Amino acid sequence: MRYLMMSKASENAKTPDERLFAEMGAFIEELSAAGVLLASGGLEPSGVRLVSEGGEVTVTDGPFAESKEAVVGFALVEVRSHEEAIELARRFRRIVGDGESVIQQVFGP
Amino acid sequence: MTDVHRTIDAIWRMESARLVAAPTRMVRDVGAAEELAQDALVAALEQWPESGIPDNPGAWLTTVAKRRAVDHIRRERRLAEHGETLAYELAEQRRLDDVGGPEHDPGAAEPQSESEQDDVLRLMFVSCHPVLPTEARVALTLRLLGGLTAAEIARAFLTVEPLIARRIATAKRTLAEERVPFELPDGAELAERLASVLEVVYLIFNEGYSATSGEDLIRPGLCLEALRLGRLLAESVPDEPEAHGLVALMEIQASRTPARTGPAGEPVPLHAQNRGRWDGLLIRRGFAAMLRARAAGTPGRPGPYLLQAAIAVCHAQARTAEETDWVRIAGLYTALAGLLPTAVVRLNRAVAVGMADGPAAGLALVDELVADPALRDYHLLPGVRGDLLLRLGRGEEARREFERAALLTRNSAEQTYLTRRAEAIPLGDASAWTFGEAIDAFLAGDRLAPATARSYGQTMWRLRLSLGVGMPLASLTADQIAGAFRVSWGGVAAATWNRHRSAVRAFAAWTHTPGLDAGIPQRTPQRRPAPAPAPIPPGTAWPGDVEAPLRERTLWTLLHESGTTVAAVLALNVQDLDLPERRARRTDRRSDRRDAWITWRSRTAALLPELLDGRTRGPVFLADRRPGPTRAGILGPEDVCPLTGRGRLSYERAEFLCKSTTGHPLRRLRDWSEEESRS
Repeated sequence: MRYLMMSKASENAKTPDERLFAEMGAFIEELSAAGVLLASGGLEPSGVRLVSEGGEVTVTDGPFAESKEAVVGFALVEVRSHEEAIELARRFRRIVGDGESVIQQVFGP
Repeated sequence: MTDVHRTIDAIWRMESARLVAAPTRMVRDVGAAEELAQDALVAALEQWPESGIPDNPGAWLTTVAKRRAVDHIRRERRLAEHGETLAYELAEQRRLDDVGGPEHDPGAAEPQSESEQDDVLRLMFVSCHPVLPTEARVALTLRLLGGLTAAEIARAFLTVEPLIARRIATAKRTLAEERVPFELPDGAELAERLASVLEVVYLIFNEGYSATSGEDLIRPGLCLEALRLGRLLAESVPDEPEAHGLVALMEIQASRTPARTGPAGEPVPLHAQNRGRWDGLLIRRGFAAMLRARAAGTPGRPGPYLLQAAIAVCHAQARTAEETDWVRIAGLYTALAGLLPTAVVRLNRAVAVGMADGPAAGLALVDELVADPALRDYHLLPGVRGDLLLRLGRGEEARREFERAALLTRNSAEQTYLTRRAEAIPLGDASAWTFGEAIDAFLAGDRLAPATARSYGQTMWRLRLSLGVGMPLASLTADQIAGAFRVSWGGVAAATWNRHRSAVRAFAAWTHTPGLDAGIPQRTPQRRPAPAPAPIPPGTAWPGDVEAPLRERTLWTLLHESGTTVAAVLALNVQDLDLPERRARRTDRRSDRRDAWITWRSRTAALLPELLDGRTRGPVFLADRRPGPTRAGILGPEDVCPLTGRGRLSYERAEFLCKSTTGHPLRRLRDWSEEESRS
């Protein structure tokens, strides 16, 4: 089963340093090698918002006020169980420090 | 199961390959290493619910397993007496040094070292070692590298847990007995050993991929397991194009999973699949794996996985079925047929050539296959042939081929599909009496004696399969009969040939179609009286001690120790055995005799339990595979193992195996005296 892990922006996150990059690199490499990580990437924090209402689509450029809710990174993983997905997210949180991640099972494709 | 336990279970599955590999390097025995890893798991189950899950649970488990390994080695060393060589001591010391001492804190995070990944690769090579039979390699790989339980593996392979557990235990014992080293093979050996690993991974994948039933969700799980193993392998041997080729092949095949079954669960052929439902992510991963394979370079010719992956890429690149580059696919299949001339590959090549160069060219290739007696029951063959004939405008023949294909297939969904295709082709003369109808009428009623009807029935059944049932009897020619006859019985003994011939003659006479048998002349049996067997000269070694599979050795020993007939031994069923008393009730035709017991002695008694392997019913001696349609029709319910579906070992096969291995017929084995067989 596939899970999408999303990490959100955080005000008191540690500023990325050499060590964080190295650890993240090793983590991603390990997950790819184990055949678990299907895709991952960082996201532009501001983005563009589209709202449709009554057949009208409104396009608004970011950034937005509630930017700490924004998703800034994602990883699509293929695992055997819900617990495995949680365990991977746990390891990810340990590396990046304070902040918030959300994981959701992906149905389909 | 509590949350902690579920988490521990998940961690175990994620880490089990590394967790088994690390102590294997130290104790050099996968069986012992797996126990040490299990010890570490038990420690986690005891401690983590109290102490919480450590920061780096994988490293915690590995360190505990390594500690246990050190204890294990120390104990082993204490047991080894002082006479052991210095070299052994030195090797042990080096192994202890590797660990960095037992006082290491298990909670401390350890960076994953290069050697850990190598250890996993070593473990993969060991569990796929050629000393093990293929099914044992598959089970052991899923167990050690996938972290699956015996019950899960059994469920995935639609069998029972004790069978898998025993298979794994036997495999571990074999590895220990054969002293398979925990090392990476190199040079020429690497290619051969890698081929074995690739084969196991692809077998696991196909076991999951070909299960279209979808009732048991663990079967798609097998595809995922194989993909993981393949990706791990390719990452560990980045310079091997075939490993990347296999990954590409599996990724692209897996990408079609959502489109392969229709709403009612029926299989959808590739050309009819909704390509929008293919998983683009997996396709891209497949392409990326192909690029890595290319970057790794192709020493000499591309191997079979790379070729199959290249074919899969061609299909994946075509946005519609019509856009498929069949010329390129035909070329790739031609190259593949040179490496793997299997029936499937040759038939697929014919399909591709039929698409690239027109149906006539494809039909010419298919007709080469039709003449091969080994493929006479292969249902895809008439299906493909019918397709090509239809495209050539030869509807009547196409219809017959689809009908034949429907008769041959054992899958009901496919049968419906083929029958529908056959019925879609209009019949030329619907009133004509068909071959099939004539056969049914010929065999119907009680005009023929039961034994004759059975014998004629076998002949006509085979001819129906070869020729199809839809052709009008009037259009059937002696040449067609002769061709089918030669493919079916070209190599049989004269008496058998003549028996089938007389069935055709009787059919021709009854249906007033004289001359149908013109192409099948009577054969003269070569009868020579068998000379009486010479007595065995004293001192001749018992021929049953050669290296032979367990089943053969058990059969020969039982035959020799019991002194009974071959038929009686082959007729034995598991439920008739009385192992403690070393005897079995006779179940063959002469069982009404008063001495209706077969008895054996110690050597048979030692072999039997392993052969039975937990089975409680069905034949003692089983054939190597499940019976084909011909044999399945002959076998009764007692002749089929309820566990594996394999049929009873036939006399002919047993005799062939005995002759080709020992040089003696089975009966001759009884003539050895007890002394020689013991020497």
